[in-house]
Amino acid sequence: MNTLSRASEPVAPERAVQSSPDSYYGRPILKPHVWTPFVPWYFWIGGTTGAACVHGLIARIRGDDELAEVQRWVAFGGIVTSPVLLILDLGVRHRFLNMLRVFKPTSPMSVGSWVLSALGAAVTGSLVADKVLGAPALARVCDVAAAGLGPVLTTYTAVLVSNTATPVWHEAHAELPLVFASSGIAGAGACATAFAPAAQRRSARRMMIAGAIAMGVTAREMEKRLGVLGEPYSRGTAGAFKRASSMLALSGVALALIGRSSTLANRVAALLVAGAGVCERFAVLDAGKQSAEGPKYVVHQQRETLQNGERKPLR
Amino acid sequence: MELFEPTAASAEVATYGERAQPRKGFFTDTTLCIGCKACEVACKEWNQLPADGYAFTAQSYDNTGELNGTTWRHVAFVEQPQKSRWLMESDVCKHCTHAACLDVCPTGALVRTEFGTVIVQEDVCNGCGYCVPACPFGVIDKRPEDGHVGKCTLCYDRLRDGETPACAKACPTESIQYGDLDDLRRRADERLEKVRADERFTDASLYLRGPDDGIGGAGAFFLLLDRPEVYGLPPDPVDTTRDLGKMWRRAAYAMAAIVGTIALCSVGPRA
Repeated sequence: MNTLSRASEPVAPERAVQSSPDSYYGRPILKPHVWTPFVPWYFWIGGTTGAACVHGLIARIRGDDELAEVQRWVAFGGIVTSPVLLILDLGVRHRFLNMLRVFKPTSPMSVGSWVLSALGAAVTGSLVADKVLGAPALARVCDVAAAGLGPVLTTYTAVLVSNTATPVWHEAHAELPLVFASSGIAGAGACATAFAPAAQRRSARRMMIAGAIAMGVTAREMEKRLGVLGEPYSRGTAGAFKRASSMLALSGVALALIGRSSTLANRVAALLVAGAGVCERFAVLDAGKQSAEGPKYVVHQQRETLQNGERKPLR
Repeated sequence: MELFEPTAASAEVATYGERAQPRKGFFTDTTLCIGCKACEVACKEWNQLPADGYAFTAQSYDNTGELNGTTWRHVAFVEQPQKSRWLMESDVCKHCTHAACLDVCPTGALVRTEFGTVIVQEDVCNGCGYCVPACPFGVIDKRPEDGHVGKCTLCYDRLRDGETPACAKACPTESIQYGDLDDLRRRADERLEKVRADERFTDASLYLRGPDDGIGGAGAFFLLLDRPEVYGLPPDPVDTTRDLGKMWRRAAYAMAAIVGTIALCSVGPRA
């Protein structure tokens, strides 16, 4: 009756690809993200915009009005370009308004869409109140709202990618917000360093330098803790972006420190640090792709969790 | 209360009030699968999905490869000559109790039906792609043809007419069984006991029967003869929205760090 168990020496065809015990022909278990390069660009611009709003308000309070104006225009540029980048990434672009069809606390993308919209209204409102209506009190109210929402815009993208099955993102949910926050501070600092008058450049320079260093440190910490899961950060496109990011950040910081009183040196340094932030976002996105495509990362992490019994059962 | 409790299958079905139906699902008994791919074809036919082309993978009899936006049933073939056996498994969307795709969808295009299943409203989806990396099974995918995402609907249109989903209807060996989830679970438990009685299949297990896994159990669950990863399934799938509160807490620290750092950088006399 049982022919299968009698076949003692089955012969596999030579060309047949054997399935391994750890995966199905090495095929991905997960789908890699399908986002286009518009998304990492948005991550950087959104992050910079958020930090610029905070810096703008503090500068305004201190009476550094020219610096505050620079950050206002940086933020305005950010909130104008961000939706464009996000719409370009959509599969069905004319349905972009569906992003505001519902408010879903379980979806960081929904939360982020509303935050971006509200921040856009606050930044635009402040500009209109100051330049058109001549109502500085209203403008300051808008500035405060923008500064409150700014940090959310800077960090929600980290929560967004962490809330996926992609191992290198989800397992880094503790560090990613800090990486994105540092990069946002560095970005806003770089923008203001490039455009603010020399007399009001100090805080921007500090932000640029501190942000760039913090980004390097937090990212390194993240990769170290990820262990095997963090491998993609040293491989392929992600690895290349990672190396570029480190080199740009280091040279930017060095240049800023050496040429501290030179406007040209500061501007070049700002460009380098900004580039470092962009490269870091591209590295994160590509690492996610590699992570989802490698069944070993998925199986490794999940087997470990099962073994340690870390995951508490759901109700 | 966890953030995702309101989006659990039972909670969402309850919102239908009188129209709520008993939760429907699939029990796929892989011990009965003969790899005929009738389910794949029936699904393509009924749902009017484009064919997959003429790709030859050289991976046993599997030339379909994966589930994606236009392939909603996929038969996996695992040759195990050392164990003198072939494993075949018809994979499908799991219609999770806690569905990651549904939780992260920003437009509300992904919804829970009155049958407790998860479907994409194709006229609402704007193709943001968030559900794609969120799915712990790599099921849902963006369709290059029209930009929005697609996946198994458990034949929502047929269910509303009291019909059986196309794949289960076409399955000649009852490897794919459709019905009320409670019934299916009972049947699966009995079947598992019978299969395990055979000394060759003592490793057999029910995958995603729930509710103690990371997705709270699935609407479509499986009887497997080997470890899930052998079939290309994740051993410990999780709806990560479960940890969303923790993630926002970490983000809140980072937000505070932003304000603190920028304030510190601004300290000092004005020039």
